[in-house]
Amino acid sequence: MKKLTVLVLALAALIGTTPIALADDAENYIKYRQAIMKAIGGHMGATSQLLRGKVSPQGDHLAMHASALAALNTNLAQLFPEGSDFGETGAKAEIWEQWDKFEKAANDAETATAKLAEAVAGGDRAKITAAHRAVGKTCKGCHEDFREKDD
Amino acid sequence: MKHGCTIIALLFSAYATADTNNGEYVFHAAGCLACHTVEDGEPLAGGRQFETPFGVFYAPNITPDNQYGIGRWTRKQFIAALKQGVAPDGRAYFPVFPYPSYQLMRDEDAGKLYDYLMSRPAVAEPNRPHELPWWLSTWMIKPWQWWFQDEPPAPPSDARLARGRYLVDALGHCGECHSPRNWAGVKDQARYLGGTKEGPEGENIPNITPHRDDGIGKWRADDLAYYLEIGELPDGDYAGSLMAEVIDNSTSRLTPQDREAMVAYLRSIDALPDL
Repeated sequence: MKKLTVLVLALAALIGTTPIALADDAENYIKYRQAIMKAIGGHMGATSQLLRGKVSPQGDHLAMHASALAALNTNLAQLFPEGSDFGETGAKAEIWEQWDKFEKAANDAETATAKLAEAVAGGDRAKITAAHRAVGKTCKGCHEDFREKDD
Repeated sequence: MKHGCTIIALLFSAYATADTNNGEYVFHAAGCLACHTVEDGEPLAGGRQFETPFGVFYAPNITPDNQYGIGRWTRKQFIAALKQGVAPDGRAYFPVFPYPSYQLMRDEDAGKLYDYLMSRPAVAEPNRPHELPWWLSTWMIKPWQWWFQDEPPAPPSDARLARGRYLVDALGHCGECHSPRNWAGVKDQARYLGGTKEGPEGENIPNITPHRDDGIGKWRADDLAYYLEIGELPDGDYAGSLMAEVIDNSTSRLTPQDREAMVAYLRSIDALPDL
């Protein structure tokens, strides 16, 4: 019975992924990554408000924001497939022209957010603030070279 | 009494760690590095390219190299270049070099900047000639300077606002990007810091007057200071492009008091709607 469940699930997964693969057009990544970036910005902004003492500690929200940031920043570069530079995007052509540099900048964000999550788990306020600022540095560092200003 | 001493000691240490009075501080506040350095190049050896409606300009080498830099310049020549836009050989500089802003700099600060630049390593990097359109040549800049170099408005009487204005206008030269220019490339004072759609590198430069809908009127003062320090906007987004450079090289290196003075000044100027 267990084996049958596994088989059914595996088949379902296989069928389930096929239409997604077909819809996986490079240009579709523009809206998706913008939404992801907004989510990252939301968690960063909320973390700032907490760390700057603008609002009282909201239960375990700091940990929630930190783990969300770590998850959202995992493998950021894959949100920028080749060909996703048309349409409404602030992504600069330099992303694909200097892919190694871009990938490194994206990986820096992944490393920094992992460290932020670690610091939050550790609980030392000064370390958390430093780690949050280090994340911000990676955001700004990447935007500096690879994002066109649009507003 | 003991508390009094502690407070005085704390005040003194805050002052001592952030020496706003040395050449390096002036150098950061005046934002020299970004324009005079090509990406991944030797600091201050020049070469960065500026595409403008008036041609393609290349920032010169300002290291103390005797042949290609400013190594043979006297302090007086340096101050004249910085504040009047006049080269040691008497020629006028194109106003890509923001002397219309630096003219407000105190001679004392300009002198400290000179000392600081002279203490940097010399780099023997030749300068690239500008690429001008057919109708433009260097001699035209003298009359341009004569005609357009207006006496800047008097600084605010409040000491903190005056310091903010000095940081925004004289050192930070914010208006070089954030104010639009007229047909002759002169900053439009009626639209002071009102933003422009035709900024450097084709960028859309935001309105930073305290207008509530179009400018920074809805920002809290401490959020603005935080932005100048860290680069984070109130919605959690992070600055990019040219402003990220300004934050990294300049505003993040200022003292908190100086950032607050900039913010206070920006919130005190005329609020302009976008056009």
